[in-house]
Amino acid sequence: MIEIEIHDQSCRGCQLCVDICPTKVFEYDAAQAKAVIRHAEDCIACLSCAYLCPSGALTHGNYHVVKNFYRDLDFSQKMEKFL
Amino acid sequence: MENAAPNNAVTVNIEWLSDCGGCHVAIVDLHEKILQVLQSVSIQRCPVLTDQKGYPPARVGLVSGAIRTEHDRHAAEEMRKSCELIIAWGSCAVYGGIVGAGIVHSRREIFDTVYGNNKTTLTHADPTSRVSPFEQSVLPLDRVIDVDLYLPGCPPHPAFVFDALIALVEGRTPKATKKTVCSRCTRRMEKTDVDRIRSASEGIPDPEKCFLSQGYICMGSTTLDRCLSPCPTNGVVCTGCAGATMQILTEPNRDIRTEIAERMSRLTAIPRDAVVREIERTAKSHYSYTMATSMIGEKPTFLIRKWLADAEATYE
Repeated sequence: MIEIEIHDQSCRGCQLCVDICPTKVFEYDAAQAKAVIRHAEDCIACLSCAYLCPSGALTHGNYHVVKNFYRDLDFSQKMEKFL
Repeated sequence: MENAAPNNAVTVNIEWLSDCGGCHVAIVDLHEKILQVLQSVSIQRCPVLTDQKGYPPARVGLVSGAIRTEHDRHAAEEMRKSCELIIAWGSCAVYGGIVGAGIVHSRREIFDTVYGNNKTTLTHADPTSRVSPFEQSVLPLDRVIDVDLYLPGCPPHPAFVFDALIALVEGRTPKATKKTVCSRCTRRMEKTDVDRIRSASEGIPDPEKCFLSQGYICMGSTTLDRCLSPCPTNGVVCTGCAGATMQILTEPNRDIRTEIAERMSRLTAIPRDAVVREIERTAKSHYSYTMATSMIGEKPTFLIRKWLADAEATYE
């Protein structure tokens, strides 16, 4: 199953992941003012939430990686060198 | 400077090309932690600390600043020859930084503004000595020499510099994450019915609420956290000094302005397109740290000269 993780300290409670998820994986916890994962089993790994999250608080694991059509190859080779 | 490092210490050369000097101040900002660094690191050459003018052989080279002059190119090449590992240190070395904003002007325009038409100088002529001739354009460090590691930030917070140096000594991967400035900001990010963009000088922003929610263009969500978010937590919008996030740098169809617009239009009632147009109008500010790198400056939709000409034509 696809693993999703919300970095607790980084989540700002903006609810953008709740809005964009096509399969309604997330819910908003008003008491904590943070997003929570309710239905991880429904995740299709479209990664829309990870791209939209302002903090970069969402990470996914154990999913089939589909390479993007357009990549800046020059930079992709440098990415691992960023400290 | 007296250096108490043992004989097996990691030798470090530091060089300063075209930049403001803030990266060097970040070393001083290590305060007493620098003593811990100096236990295992031997700083041989550092323009603000040592009187070493040459380039002794070293394990690690930290190079700050962009390539603007012929001297910068020479110094970068000497660093590459003398150091086993080169770290592009700070946003100027990594992306071109503020110095990189010079790419939108010709050398002639810059010399005319600084020397020829400067109201505070008498000669009104180009300098003939002491100023190194300019390169054709401003370049990030890796356009001139091979770079092994990149540490962006303006300057990188001493915590990241410290961690990078200690990690190199210990032979582990530094802790730097790919999270953004938003990840450490504490303002409440909430949906509002704000329907127009406010300029930074307009009104007094609510100190508890996210700038985007209030209609101020803040670059926190598109900027790497190499700073621990001091600006938004102290009432100033993020200006993007540590450069764009990995998803913007890797994917030509993503950009700083579209990513901010995407989030801002979902948090407020401001249309996405209005945010994009406003950032284009003020592009010289919003892209000032990164426009000299091919990763931003050569995106097919990055039309800064057109945006500047449009802004000029409609200037009141």
